[in-house]
Amino acid sequence: MRTTTIILAAFLVSFSAIAAEQNFAGASPKLAEMLAAKDKDGKPIITPEQQTYFNGLNDNLKELLNQAVQKETISRPEHLAVLLALGLRPQKMELVLQNNCILCHSDSANQSADTLFTVAPAATTPASHMNLKEVVEDVHFRRGVSCAGCHGGDPTADLGHDFVKEWPEKDRQKNRAWVVQFCARCHSDPAMMHEFNPSLPTDQLAKFKDSPHGRTLLEKHDDRAPSCVSCHGVHGIRPAKDPQSKVYAQRVPETCGACHADPKIMSGFTRADGSPLPTTQLAEYRTSVHGQALLVRGDLGAPACNTCHGNHAASPPGVAQVSRSCNLCHSANASLFDGSKHKHAFDQHNWPECGQCHGNHTIAKTDDSMIATGPGQLCGDCHRQYAKENPECIKTADYFHDTITKMDQARTGFISVSEKLAAKGLDVDPINNELTELGDASKKSRTYVHSFSRNTFQQVAAPGEQAVKRTDALVKKASEEFKYRQIGLAVSIGLIGLLMLAIYLKLRQLEK
Amino acid sequence: MNAAEKTRGLRGWLDRRYHLTPLFDFLRHKEVPLGTHWMGWYYFGGITMFFFIVQVITGVLLLMYYQPGEATAYESIRFLTTKVPFGWLIRSMHSWSAHLMIISLTLHMFSTMMLKAYRSPREVTWVSGYLLFLLTLGFGFSGYLLPWNKLAYFATTVGTNIVRSVPLLGSWLLEVLRGGQDVTINTLYRFFAAHVVILPLAFVGLIGLHLLLIQRQGMAPPIGEKIAPRGMKFFPSFALRDVLLWLACLTLLLTLTVFLPYGPGIPGMDWELGEKANPMAPAYPGIKPEWYFLWEYQLLKEFPPHLFGLEGPQVCLFLIAILFGIWAIIPWLDRRAYHNKPSPAFSDFGWAAILFLTYLTLTGWDIGARGASSELAAMHNVARVCAWWTLAAGAVVIVVRYWLYEDRWFFLAGAALLHVALHGLVGMSYLLAGAISVVLAGLVIATSRLVGSRSGSTGSN
Repeated sequence: MRTTTIILAAFLVSFSAIAAEQNFAGASPKLAEMLAAKDKDGKPIITPEQQTYFNGLNDNLKELLNQAVQKETISRPEHLAVLLALGLRPQKMELVLQNNCILCHSDSANQSADTLFTVAPAATTPASHMNLKEVVEDVHFRRGVSCAGCHGGDPTADLGHDFVKEWPEKDRQKNRAWVVQFCARCHSDPAMMHEFNPSLPTDQLAKFKDSPHGRTLLEKHDDRAPSCVSCHGVHGIRPAKDPQSKVYAQRVPETCGACHADPKIMSGFTRADGSPLPTTQLAEYRTSVHGQALLVRGDLGAPACNTCHGNHAASPPGVAQVSRSCNLCHSANASLFDGSKHKHAFDQHNWPECGQCHGNHTIAKTDDSMIATGPGQLCGDCHRQYAKENPECIKTADYFHDTITKMDQARTGFISVSEKLAAKGLDVDPINNELTELGDASKKSRTYVHSFSRNTFQQVAAPGEQAVKRTDALVKKASEEFKYRQIGLAVSIGLIGLLMLAIYLKLRQLEK
Repeated sequence: MNAAEKTRGLRGWLDRRYHLTPLFDFLRHKEVPLGTHWMGWYYFGGITMFFFIVQVITGVLLLMYYQPGEATAYESIRFLTTKVPFGWLIRSMHSWSAHLMIISLTLHMFSTMMLKAYRSPREVTWVSGYLLFLLTLGFGFSGYLLPWNKLAYFATTVGTNIVRSVPLLGSWLLEVLRGGQDVTINTLYRFFAAHVVILPLAFVGLIGLHLLLIQRQGMAPPIGEKIAPRGMKFFPSFALRDVLLWLACLTLLLTLTVFLPYGPGIPGMDWELGEKANPMAPAYPGIKPEWYFLWEYQLLKEFPPHLFGLEGPQVCLFLIAILFGIWAIIPWLDRRAYHNKPSPAFSDFGWAAILFLTYLTLTGWDIGARGASSELAAMHNVARVCAWWTLAAGAVVIVVRYWLYEDRWFFLAGAALLHVALHGLVGMSYLLAGAISVVLAGLVIATSRLVGSRSGSTGSN
C-alpha cells in the first residue's frame, strides 16, 4: 500500500514538473509543442535560456510567432531555436518575424550552405558574410529598408526573388563599379536620406568619383580599387561611431591597411612623381606619436588615416595641403610658421611645411635636439646645406636650444630640491607654484620655436626665465629658513645646556 | 625656622592666611626610597608628566588656529604649518610629544609592574595610572583625525570599524562613535570635543588623584623591605634631577622637531599633512593604525572569520578585553607581592606580555615583507623574520634576568617564545600555536607547583 502511494506521488510530482515545463503562456498548441520538443537524446531543443526569452516576449511578438508557426515559415523547433537564440530586443524581433527573407534563409532545412544565414560565430562557409547576427545588427535593418531595400522583392510575400534591376546580370563580383552607383541610389538622394538620417551628408559619391580610389574604380575599372563595401562591409554595416564598425576611428588604420599595407594589391600603383606607392604606412603609423595615442592610449582625438587624407575623397595631400592637415589640430604651431621666414623659404624649395622636419606617417615625439645645430642635427644640417650665408640663424637656433634646455634643467633641479625641502617641513607651495609657471613657459617656448624669430620666442621664454630666478630666490629663502631653524635649535640647546649645568652644579653643592 | 621669621616675607604672609607650614614640613621631609634596583625607573612618571604639559601648552596654541569643519579643518592646519610663524614647530612638537609621552608612559607602567610597586597599599594608584594610560590612547586616537587628511581619515575609518564587532551593541556603538554610519565631518566634531574637552577633564582629574595618592603614600620601597633602607630627599635632590631630565627631554624634543618635523617616517608615526580627506575616494591598500594600536590590529588579522560559533573579531575583542581586564586587577592577583614577598611569576608575566606585544607589533609593521613574490610569501616572510627578532630579544631578556637578577621563573616568557616559534618558524596557525603554548605553560606550572609542594612537604617532614 505504502509503495503504491510513493509511486503515485512520484508520478504526480514528475507529471506536474512536466506540466510546469510545458506552460508557455501565449503560445498556440503548435508553438508550445515546438518549444517543449526534445531531440533524439531526450534533451530539450529550445534551451532554458531561450524558453525564458520566449516567456519574456510581449503578446504581439508571441502572436507573430504563432502566425509564423501557423504559416509554417517556422516549421521546426531547431529553426525556432536559432531565432530565439538571437535574444533580440522587441523592436528588432518584430522586424525579424515580419521578414520572410530572414525567416526562410535562417532555416537550415530549406537552404544550401551558400544561401543560409549562419549563426556560427566565426563561420567560414562561402556565404559567411551573411552572418545572421550581423545582418540583424546592420544599420539598414530597419523598417522600409532591410533585405528588400537592396535586394528587391517583397519580404511579406510567401516566396519570390525579384532582384533589383540595377544589379548587373554578369560579372557582378568582378567589376565592382556598380556598387557605388547602387548605394548612391539612396545615399546621394537628400530627400530619401532625410527620411532615415537627416544629418548624414549625401555627397559621398561626388567626392568618391573625384578621388584616386574613385577614378581607379570607375574610370580604369581596376577591381583592386575599393568600393563602398570594401570599407563599410556588406551585411553588418554599422554607424562610424560604433566601435565594431570597420570605419570606427581606432579601426580605420587597419581597414585602410588591408589594401595599403599589402604589396600584392598595391603593386603598380604610383605617386604623382611616378615612384611606386609604398606599403609601409600602416607599420610607420603604428609606431608614430599619433598611432600610439589612438591605438595604444585609446585617445579618440588622435588622428587616423582619414583625419589627414579625407574619407570618401581620400587622396594624398599635396605639398601645400600637408600643413593644412596638421593645422587642424596644431593650429598655434601652424600660424606661427605661417608668419615666419621659413614659410617663404620652404615654399621656394617646394617643401611640405610640417612634414619636412617632422615626417609624415612616422611622426615621432619631438626632441629638443631637433633644434640643435651640431652635425647630424636637424637645424644645423639643413642650414649648413641651404643657408650657408646666414650665421644669424645658427645663433638663433642655439639661443632657442639653450633657453629651453636651461629652463628644463632648472625645473628638474628645482623639483628635487623642493622634495627635499618639503621633507624638512618647509613650505614649498610657493616654489611649486613657480614650477608650474616654469613648466608652462617651457612648453609654450617649444611651440614658439616655430616662429623662428628671437623676439617672438622671447615673449614666452622671458616669463619662464623670470620664474627660474624667482624659484631660485624661493629655494634660497627656504634653505635659509632651515638654517635659521638649525641655528635657533643650537642656541636653544646651548641655553638649556647652561641651565642644566647650573642645576647640576647646584645639586652637587647641595649634596656635599 | 622660628615664629619671628614666619611673620616676614611672602611666605609668612601666605602662612598666616593658609597655614602652609605642615605642607612645607611634609615636603621637606619627603624622601624617595632607594633600593637594589636602578632608580632611573622612578623618573618615567615625571617624564610622562613633562610631555603631558608640553601637550597642554602646544595643544592650546594649536587651538588658537585650528578650525574644525569640512572646509576649514585641513586648511587651518595647512595654514598653521606653512604661514604662521613657528606654526610648524608647534604642530610638530605636539605630534612628537604625543608619541614620546606614550613611550615614556608605557615604560613607566611596565617598570611599575616589574618592581611590583602596585602592591598593597597602592592598588588604587595602579588603577588610576592604568586609566590614565587608556585615556592617553584615547587622546592619540581622537587627535589623529583632527587634521582631516587622507591618511587620518582612512586610519580612523579602519580603527572605528573594530567597534562594530562588539556583541549586540556593535552597530549602535559605532554610530555613537562616528556620529553616523560612516566617518564624516560629524565624526570630526565629536573627536574634537573628546580631544580638547572630555579627555582633558578626565585626565586632569585622574592625574590629580594619581599624584595625590603618590604624595600621601610615598613611592613604593623595594619589595621585601618593610621600609626603604635609605632614601633620597625629594626636595631638592630628586626634584632637581627631575628638572634636569625634563630639560634633556625638551632638548630631545626640539632636535627631533627640527630635523624630523613629520616624524621618523615609519608607519603610524608619520604626520605629513598630504592630501585632504575625501570620503568619496576609495580606501587605499596598506592602511595601518598608529604603532601603539598595531598589536590589536595584527591580532584581529590572526583570527579566522568564525570561531566557536561567533564572529572571529568578536572573539578577538573578547580576548583583548580579558587581557586589559587582567592587567587592571594585577594588584589583587599577585598574592605574593601582596604579602611583600618577591613574585617572580608576575615579573615573568610582564615579560611575556612584552614579548607578546613585540611579536604582534613587528608583524603588524610588516617587517621582512620586502621583496616577497606574493602576498602569501610576504606573510610567511614577515612571520619568520619577526619571530627571529622576537626570539633574539627573548633570549637576551632571559639571559639578563638569569645572570643579573637571578630570576629562575621563565614559564610564561618561555610560553610566549614557544608561541612565536610555532607560528613564525613552524608555520602553525597563530591561534593553535597560542593554545598549545598556553596549555603547555599551564601543565608545566601545575606540575612544578605539585613537585614543589611535595618536596616542600617532604622537607618539612
